[in-house]
Amino acid sequence: MNVIEIKNLTKTYGKARGITDISFHVEQGEIFGFIGPNGAGKSTTIRTLLSLIYPTSGSATIFGKDCIQFAPEIKKEIGYLPSEVFYYDNMKVKDLLKYSASFYKKDCSKRIKELAEIMDLDLNKKIDDLSLGNKKKVGIVQGMLHEPKLIILDEPTSGLDPLMQQKFFELLEEENKKGVTILFSSHILSEVQRLCNRVAIIKEGKIVTVEKISTLQENNYKKFKIETKTKLDKNYFNIKGVNNLEVNDQITSFIFKGNINDVMKKIAEIEIANLWIEEPDLEEIFMHYYEKEPDKR
Amino acid sequence: MNMLLHELKAYRKSTIIWSFSLVMIIVLFMSFYPSFARDAEDFKKIMEGYPEAIRNAVGFNLGNFFTILGFYCFPLSFITLCGAIQAMNIGTSIVSKEVREKTADYLLTKPVTRTTILTAKLLAAFISIVITNVVYIAAASIMVFQVKTGDFSFELFLMLSLTMFFIQLIFLAFGIVISVIVPKIKSVLTVSLAIVFAFYFVGMLSDTTGEDLKRYFSPFKYFDTAYIIKHSGYEASFLIAGAGIIILAIAASYVVYSKKDIHSV
Repeated sequence: MNVIEIKNLTKTYGKARGITDISFHVEQGEIFGFIGPNGAGKSTTIRTLLSLIYPTSGSATIFGKDCIQFAPEIKKEIGYLPSEVFYYDNMKVKDLLKYSASFYKKDCSKRIKELAEIMDLDLNKKIDDLSLGNKKKVGIVQGMLHEPKLIILDEPTSGLDPLMQQKFFELLEEENKKGVTILFSSHILSEVQRLCNRVAIIKEGKIVTVEKISTLQENNYKKFKIETKTKLDKNYFNIKGVNNLEVNDQITSFIFKGNINDVMKKIAEIEIANLWIEEPDLEEIFMHYYEKEPDKR
Repeated sequence: MNMLLHELKAYRKSTIIWSFSLVMIIVLFMSFYPSFARDAEDFKKIMEGYPEAIRNAVGFNLGNFFTILGFYCFPLSFITLCGAIQAMNIGTSIVSKEVREKTADYLLTKPVTRTTILTAKLLAAFISIVITNVVYIAAASIMVFQVKTGDFSFELFLMLSLTMFFIQLIFLAFGIVISVIVPKIKSVLTVSLAIVFAFYFVGMLSDTTGEDLKRYFSPFKYFDTAYIIKHSGYEASFLIAGAGIIILAIAASYVVYSKKDIHSV
């Protein structure tokens, strides 16, 4: 069963922002990554799912129900953690969590205690006095205290230190084992690689591709930058697997995907002054996805 | 219910402060009455020297000014102005504070409809205003009975006092409709003060000309205290206008709020 099903979702506001014709689905029990640079439309998509904003056209269903029409009913089973958390400053953590729990018609006090212990959160502090990371922890507890069947995370790791991030991921994996579906939006590829089964890549409001993480990992991209002593022939590195080739006097740079030995052999044949081999950042992978012909996908 | 209690709690402090301030004002004003009543005749002569337009503008009526109810109308117009500011403040802030403090995401991702949210907020604002009025009227009644020099109609006194409540409801409705339409209100007090005072001055201007039609432009003029004292009743056409404004504004707020996009911060 598909927990989330998005069909041709479009939201336009103003000129540049928004999403166009987004379609994908999230299956029951999977951790689904939603990845793209800032401003690509991740939050817009998520906010539409949560009926915070209304789509211009298209529709989305959650648990098989329309996400706008049945919003209050659906939200009983959704936990949401935004990238920036804001709560009523003059409340105590304990009171805020109680207030949150009061929206769900079940006793959440045990779960609150459990989660607070795992996340090492002091329940007696005032929200106002918390650091960014601690506020985030409140958000995590707040989003999971009613044991939701679907957890939606919008860039959740900002502000968490690596140790907490680790604990948080373990918590998510544990929930996932219980059958909870997770939609995880992020602009950090490594997070998504660590957690997710499948991933949708979004750029400039459009879905570029939906792939299994395993496939993405097979696509081992490397970024090369080579400085040569003499000027190089423009097409010297124009071999299979090379993308974004740029030749600039003595400096040649490109992104390579494929058997790395091929490139190394080519490099060995020329006199080089310097060499950099790096993991390409996400932006460059997106560039690559954009240049891909649609029929090759 | 949980939201209603939460909102009431959030406005507890402000309700207490407003109620207390209004009580202080009325206690102060009414404590002048005994000495004022003694000097009544001299004062009457002075006031007769002023042109009628000015007397009307400050809400002055020679005929009944020196009865306790007539005297009460004078601080009442000032109290009403304060009350209108309070109501406008609550109305404007009750929805917009979620946007300003960025808690809208939190509230709107809970399993409740936006209608339920707005109803809880409206009810909380309404209750705050009712509490303020109950406290104020109780204090004012005690004061009036303390300082009275002769008999007066308590019923009439209540009718006069309730005009503040009605005007507050109108401004509450104004405030709410503004807070759902304007995307982000940075300073609630600036907005509410500006609007309340604008209406107040419009009301003062309409008084100097004495045209009935102009009175519709300012809720402050919907309840003419001289008329109430004379006829022991409200003017029906203005009651209808007030109710119409409230119903329209609240209905519009529901429509706008349930349809609007809540943008991220």
